Amino acid sequence: MALSSGRPGLRAGPSAGAPYRLSWRIFDALEAVAARWPARAEGTVKWLLLAPALLVVGLLVFGLLVMADASLRVMDFRTYQLSDHYATANYVRLLAWGAFHATLWRSLAATVLVTLACLVLAFPYAWALTRTASPRLRRVLLVGLFLPFFVGQVVRAYGWLVILGQQGLLNQALGLLGLGPYRLLFSYPTVLFGLVQYMLPFAVLMLAPALAAIPEEIERAAASCGASRWRALFRVVLPMARPGLIAAALVVATLTLTDFAMPAILGGGTNDFLANLVHDQFFRTSNAGLGSAIALVLTLLGTSVAGLLLALAGVGALGVRGAR
Amino acid sequence: MNQSSLSTTRRRLLGSAAALGAGLAMPAVLRAQEPAKPAELIVRAWGGVWVDSLKKGVSDPFTAKTGIRIRHDLTEDNEIKPRIWAAVAQGRTPPIHINWDTTANATSSALRGVCEDLADLPNLAKVLPLAKPIGLSGVPIVNLYSYVYVLAYRPEVFPGGPPDSWNVLLEPRFKGRIALYNDGIGFHPVAQVMGGGKISDIPANMEPCWAFIRKLKEQKPLLGEDPDFTNWFQKGEIDVACTISSNAREAKAKGVKVAWTVPKEGAKVDTDGMWIPKGLPANELYWAKRYIDFALSTEAQQVWLDGLGLPGVAPGIKPPADLVGDPSYPTSEKDFERLILIPPKIQAEHTAEWFARFKEIMQS
Repeated sequence: MALSSGRPGLRAGPSAGAPYRLSWRIFDALEAVAARWPARAEGTVKWLLLAPALLVVGLLVFGLLVMADASLRVMDFRTYQLSDHYATANYVRLLAWGAFHATLWRSLAATVLVTLACLVLAFPYAWALTRTASPRLRRVLLVGLFLPFFVGQVVRAYGWLVILGQQGLLNQALGLLGLGPYRLLFSYPTVLFGLVQYMLPFAVLMLAPALAAIPEEIERAAASCGASRWRALFRVVLPMARPGLIAAALVVATLTLTDFAMPAILGGGTNDFLANLVHDQFFRTSNAGLGSAIALVLTLLGTSVAGLLLALAGVGALGVRGAR
Repeated sequence: MNQSSLSTTRRRLLGSAAALGAGLAMPAVLRAQEPAKPAELIVRAWGGVWVDSLKKGVSDPFTAKTGIRIRHDLTEDNEIKPRIWAAVAQGRTPPIHINWDTTANATSSALRGVCEDLADLPNLAKVLPLAKPIGLSGVPIVNLYSYVYVLAYRPEVFPGGPPDSWNVLLEPRFKGRIALYNDGIGFHPVAQVMGGGKISDIPANMEPCWAFIRKLKEQKPLLGEDPDFTNWFQKGEIDVACTISSNAREAKAKGVKVAWTVPKEGAKVDTDGMWIPKGLPANELYWAKRYIDFALSTEAQQVWLDGLGLPGVAPGIKPPADLVGDPSYPTSEKDFERLILIPPKIQAEHTAEWFARFKEIMQS
């Protein structure tokens, strides 16, 4: 609809006491420009709309190319300069470096465990959020979902230090029962616990729309056909919630794989993930070559995890129109 | 313990007393040629007691004398380094004027060639020779004080008196209650000795060091950075740690029951310094040099290092009352006999290799 066709009348009419707004004038001008857009160039509009996103992705790819270049150069620690020539030494070193193997497997194991835990815990929460008949409960659940987003990851990790420390709240409570104190911090399970707590809201946020899109009548239909509550859940609801489950798994898995803060704060220095190793190479030993190599491996792993999930479920599982 | 390779360094440190002359004011002719003053200088610093002491002892008096405001940038030393390197490589003005840095870390910047030469600082002639870096051409870094990686401990777990050996770290009762730096810094030479090796074998043969660190790994140590040690002592997470004496002293100042000692096997001594990145406008470079020169003065060091509890390179500094006779505040030859100094150039050239080995042991 061309706004400009109706606006002059409004301006001139006796009921048009309000001034003709600046934003309307801007849109009028834009429409006038759009009207002159040649019909045969209409195909370029979608590319123009995509341009900002393509620019961001392009910068990302450029950054990766720069890192790929650095990863093939070796640091000379007598001059702290990267070599002029290309070599695969950084990658060869990764193959033989025990610290890399340990952090690699630790990161991958955490990715699997945290993703599974988040899906299991997020599903009932999202289910209750979308199915409850009580507006009050829904409000409480929504506040519970969004509140953690207002508190950053580092602050949350420090919160756990306060709660789980030797003199923390939990040990103080156990002390009242004559138990402890126990070392609850600085271990792999603590890091996993912190990650699950951090990632859970993301998983709920991904799952809730998928569950909301499943009509309740379908569950009632399953029940009327004789399906038990559990049978309806596993045979009807879960398959229909697959787009949400896959999206949640994608987000949680990639964020966990690349996480830095939780292992750094809750790991006590001996439970590093790959991102911590990358940071160490860039900022502790100033070895941009080796750091770039690890960063690229991490990027490749993240892409592979996402690709694997989509390959297992199919792109159509995300609900993308036309995809299979 | 074989420390023969370090005797030259120690002589250098102790012989400095002879080099101390009467203070000379900056020649008036130089003052007359002073270039335009910048509105502010940016000095990178560590947080907590470190920046507080610097502000009180150096930055505020410098501002009072010159009218130049000092802004402290608390970006970590390791994190500011790549930003400076990138600025110098791209011909941009660096993000800070002065980098307060560990000498070992600063040496990597000197080896890369991004440091201005500071040989013309007037106060350099009046301080300990230790102020000039070893093994580097020119004076790309000025060392300002030394510090010791002590064995810090909770006195209540040692009712019989302070531990006299680093072997306490291996006692089963301290499993999970010991702490080291997360890159092993400050501990390598001690581990070399504890593993039955010689200091003179560093860096050629450090297998004894790695063997001892492997034993230590079984003790499930916590690995952290300066603020962690203070926190961990405060929160009751650890009983013993290898840390810089200043951190233990800060914890003590906060009411934590913590003490420290230099065990019979010795402890690593190191230095911190300041340097100026290349690429500053001429007038800013001039005033940045004046800042470092002032930091070398007895007047500034007395207040600044009183706060840190560390021995400076300027002459005539009196130790804080609580550190008189403390082994972490070395003042005599006897004190230095128990300390191990690894030249920063060796540290800089081997940091990555040592870090990789330490990580391999601790992360596996």
